[in-house]
Amino acid sequence: MRIGIVCPYKWDRPGGVQYHVRDLADTLRGLGHHVEILTPAEHEASLPAEHVTFAGRTVPIPYNGSMASVQFGPISAARVRRWLREGHFDVVHVHDPAPPSIGLLVLMIAKGPIVATFHAATVRSKFLSAWGPVIRPWLERISGRIAVSDFARRLQVEHLGGDAVVIPNGVHVASFADGPQLAGLERGSGGPTIGFLGRFDEPRKGLPVLLEALPGVLRRHPTARLLIAGRGDPAALRASIPPELGEHVELLGELAEADKAAFLRSVDVYCAPNLLGESFGIILIEALAAGAPIVASDLDAFAAVLEDGEVGVLVRRGDAGALADALAGLLDDPDRRADLSARGREAAWAYDWSVVARRVLAVYETVVPPGGGVVTASEDHAEVAGLPGADVPSRASLRRRVRR
Amino acid sequence: MGLPVWTIAVGVVVLFLLVWTAWTLTRLRRLEARVDRARTALESQLRRRAALAAEVAREGGVPLEPARAAGLARAAAGASLPWTPDRELAENVLGRELRGLVRELPRMAPALAEDLTGTAQRVALARRFYNDAVRDTAELRGRRLTRLLRLHARRPLPRYFDIDDSFGELAGTAGSGRH
Repeated sequence: MRIGIVCPYKWDRPGGVQYHVRDLADTLRGLGHHVEILTPAEHEASLPAEHVTFAGRTVPIPYNGSMASVQFGPISAARVRRWLREGHFDVVHVHDPAPPSIGLLVLMIAKGPIVATFHAATVRSKFLSAWGPVIRPWLERISGRIAVSDFARRLQVEHLGGDAVVIPNGVHVASFADGPQLAGLERGSGGPTIGFLGRFDEPRKGLPVLLEALPGVLRRHPTARLLIAGRGDPAALRASIPPELGEHVELLGELAEADKAAFLRSVDVYCAPNLLGESFGIILIEALAAGAPIVASDLDAFAAVLEDGEVGVLVRRGDAGALADALAGLLDDPDRRADLSARGREAAWAYDWSVVARRVLAVYETVVPPGGGVVTASEDHAEVAGLPGADVPSRASLRRRVRR
Repeated sequence: MGLPVWTIAVGVVVLFLLVWTAWTLTRLRRLEARVDRARTALESQLRRRAALAAEVAREGGVPLEPARAAGLARAAAGASLPWTPDRELAENVLGRELRGLVRELPRMAPALAEDLTGTAQRVALARRFYNDAVRDTAELRGRRLTRLLRLHARRPLPRYFDIDDSFGELAGTAGSGRH
């Protein structure tokens, strides 16, 4: 099958959607399909030499908690048109098409089977409920919609109209399951370790709750250490930690992909004390795959991944006392940890890219008509001449209609 | 000098209506094509499911009691009615028979079992995408202005297709939408 995937965010910036597109494309290629990607980037030179097409630079606007890439206008439209014409795709797969980006542009121009995945998690509903009706005429062209979580699906149903099938994010389970541990921090060496990973200066990630819970853990496990990895200002964090906890907290900074896996394999317990706003707990799946026993707050997305507490411990969000009890309890009980670890590894396989990509492929096969449908670019130039406005595209079709 | 204000106002309104009508007709035409495509996909998956059911009834490699095999064959044959509420009933009967087979899956020929599970998944996907297309059409057709201008008013509204398409755990987790 020839598949065209559109990523609306800059390829050379770190981001969940970019990684998702990259891994999905790699897995589909491994299954013998031809995959082309269209994406904006900061620097054209940073794109891989093959199968990735530069869609131009973008103007960033805040969207979905990060920066969306606004991209509109005749030059981008011409690039999209050329990519579609040269690609001869059976199906085009657009990611996060709601913001005014290259994804929406593809929806306007492409003719043929289109699949869209909605990742959006923390989008303000006010924005979506105002913007949804404006882009509805183009969202109508999508033949099959996918949401990465129940949360993303709900957002989609409420504001953009239409239903979506839930297919979760994927993880390369094997790359987390096997490999070395972090040097000097191997599991079982020194005191027990609790891991935290994420932007520690964002309060919604919940690090303050974990720090509040730490004294309670130390009372029962005086040699325990908290390992913090992720982006943020280390000096500000150091300053916020009470001095008596200082020697029990270790900052690892931002970790590369390989080190992240090693980190998750090393910790005795992984803790996700997030307070709100996670659409999908991909980090939890990575931790499950690495065999780390997990204590997480009871967000819907986390409860779904942890199978309502079957493969990890859930505590009430923001409750430092309960968190301390859960962490200390788990550190007390090596059998329980081993049990959670084994069941977690098992559960993670449902999210392996080999499984997830096959489910996405089933969506493609459902929307592509028997005999294959080739996606082309519409001839309708007027349709993308301006910003999405109801009157622009219709003039051309009106002309056609009058001529008939 | 110039036209009276009301002439201009009427002109603007008429122009707006013309433009809006043309745009809406374009959308309706596109939606019609999408509903057609989705229905073709759904029908081909349903046909495939019926064919597989017939195959299982004939020679599934599972020791089915004769009554059950006959029931399955009957249900498979029934799933070829035209697109009416009766079709939904017939597909539901077939779906129920097939759900009864979930426990036999491990004893079936692996290729056949995989085919059956995969097809059940695709029926669920195709049905959701079809209903989605119907919903978008109904929404646009139901708008006040669309109704007032009687756009596509003489064409029958496409019908939702409602069956229980769950099929064991495997198909269930694959997005049959029981959330």
